[in-house]
Amino acid sequence: MLTLSDISPRSTAWVTPQMLVLALVMLSAPLWLGPVGLYQYLGIEIAIWMVYALGFNLLFGYTGLHSFGHGAYLGVGGYAFGLFQHHVGTSLVGGLAAAILASALAGMIVAAAVSHRRGIYFALLTIAFGQVFWFSAIKLHWLTGGEDGLLNIPRPALDLGVVQVTLSDNLSFYYFTVAVLGLCVVALWRIVNSPFGRILQAIRQNEMRASFIGYEVWRFKFAAFVLSAMFAGLAGGLFAMAQESAYPDVMSLHQSGLIVMMVLVGGGLVSFWGPVLGVVLYFVARDVLGALTETWLLWYGLMFVAMVMFRPEGLAGVLHRLRRRPPSAAQTRPVTSGGA
Amino acid sequence: MIQLAPHLFNGLTLGLLFALIALGFTLIVGVMEVLNLAHGSLFALGAYIALSMIDPAWAQETALGGWWLGLPITARYGVALAFAPLAVGLAGMLLERCLRPTYDKAPLYGLLLTFGAALVIEELIRLGWGTGEQHLPVPDGINGAFFFGGLIFSKYKIFAAVFALAAIAAVWVFLERTPYGAIIKAGAHDSEMVRALGYDLARLRMFVFGLGAALAGIAGIVMVPIWGLRPHVGIDVVIPAFLIIVLGGVGSFWGAVVASILVGLAVGITGAYASAWSLMSMYLLLIAVVGFRARGLFGRKSALER
Repeated sequence: MLTLSDISPRSTAWVTPQMLVLALVMLSAPLWLGPVGLYQYLGIEIAIWMVYALGFNLLFGYTGLHSFGHGAYLGVGGYAFGLFQHHVGTSLVGGLAAAILASALAGMIVAAAVSHRRGIYFALLTIAFGQVFWFSAIKLHWLTGGEDGLLNIPRPALDLGVVQVTLSDNLSFYYFTVAVLGLCVVALWRIVNSPFGRILQAIRQNEMRASFIGYEVWRFKFAAFVLSAMFAGLAGGLFAMAQESAYPDVMSLHQSGLIVMMVLVGGGLVSFWGPVLGVVLYFVARDVLGALTETWLLWYGLMFVAMVMFRPEGLAGVLHRLRRRPPSAAQTRPVTSGGA
Repeated sequence: MIQLAPHLFNGLTLGLLFALIALGFTLIVGVMEVLNLAHGSLFALGAYIALSMIDPAWAQETALGGWWLGLPITARYGVALAFAPLAVGLAGMLLERCLRPTYDKAPLYGLLLTFGAALVIEELIRLGWGTGEQHLPVPDGINGAFFFGGLIFSKYKIFAAVFALAAIAAVWVFLERTPYGAIIKAGAHDSEMVRALGYDLARLRMFVFGLGAALAGIAGIVMVPIWGLRPHVGIDVVIPAFLIIVLGGVGSFWGAVVASILVGLAVGITGAYASAWSLMSMYLLLIAVVGFRARGLFGRKSALER
């Protein structure tokens, strides 16, 4: 089976051809989303979830730590953004910074408890902590508004010094999320291709060997967890802006499971771009299948089961296989150009 | 000062019921090292099939259906309790077939596949039985309440707890005192050797998975009159089961039973002081225990740590 380290070559580039393709698709989306029968808000959701999924894959795919409670950090980010707007002041940068800091803090608490754990015990502890956050969000009514959520969260304007860009309409907010996504993609690409990213991958491949070489493995697991939680928190802050509210629902186990499914279906285990493909597939499936049948989750679930059985390397793995030379030539190590 | 006795009793009953849920789960984990996240959905499936057997919607129109509805509820309940788990067992065997490609891969894939299966089963239930809350009828003899020592007790809860005790005993006898149990335990310990001795490992695994699924179905039929029957009841169930297994130690029968009772007592006692937070206590218990003892109370080394 393929792994992430097989496809992704060591790249020192800040911008790769794939990034340009993504930028082209995302920036031109408002032109063609309408004509193909979709709508602008879907683009916002997809861009936000891409930030979330790419950050999640730093932990899930690259470090091989299978967190099943990641929705908690998205939720914490959303609440932090909303509470900042309500109690501190209306500020875009301040709100997003609060979202990132709050989820980093939540991530640190959990990471301190889980970064010495492995395998299923790690997964289970992340579930337990995720449930604790979710449960608290529902029960701490005075802080979070309980199951009704935190309502009336404003979309503050973007202050660029010379001009103020209002983000209250979906189009300008879409371009703002795409800009954030772009920054996140470049940052994550640099992280996974840095020496730090290499060590994370070494931990995934053989944790014991990585520790024998002399790395204090738990510090790297801790760092990967917190970084990943910060991206989730940023996505949560953006999502609170998109929805103009924050709900506990995104923190539920069900939602945390869905992000795992998206990343896996897209091929996050074999490619940096897997989460991006998975998010697009999920949201398009939700809207296209969802318009055809009420039980679209049944079909999505069946597709997921089939994928785990027959193509566990996901969509990115399938694409990579299609691009590769025929099996006769596969004896020599395939020359990968720029990653899948 | 709050009267603690009824809360302790409640907690103990709840613990026994949790143990009933965890039985099938621990069997599958112990033998196959697969964490079956579809356990809760199989639990719900058992209850829904029993609902269709006890009180079928189509029955009024046909003669056979009329005769069936004419039978006393106790008989229909008994038949459902015997046959619905068989149907769930078959579903479990089908799921085991789907799991086969994942056996030579990391445990993550089994976990993911059963998570997908849980989603599929839940959607199938919505499709077949609707999304609303339903009610599973129970025989009159075990319905209602009685007074004892100035306190009210639910008859059905007592029945369920006794049933759970009987089921725990039956599974223990099966595993420890029969040749089949010996083969299953040997398969968990050293599958290579069991195969070398001429046992068909594929059939053994299928049987164990079917048995675990059937136990989930039985638990579903017994539990839903207390917890209510909704399509997503599965997720409310699988998490405590999952938690109990890790708390007790993967693969340990008595670990699971002890952990269930601990969790039940924790929920019961917190229920006395802060009822809104009672369900959270089990997560905190898990974090506290696993934080100090990575393998749970009675755990041993297993492939799931990879």
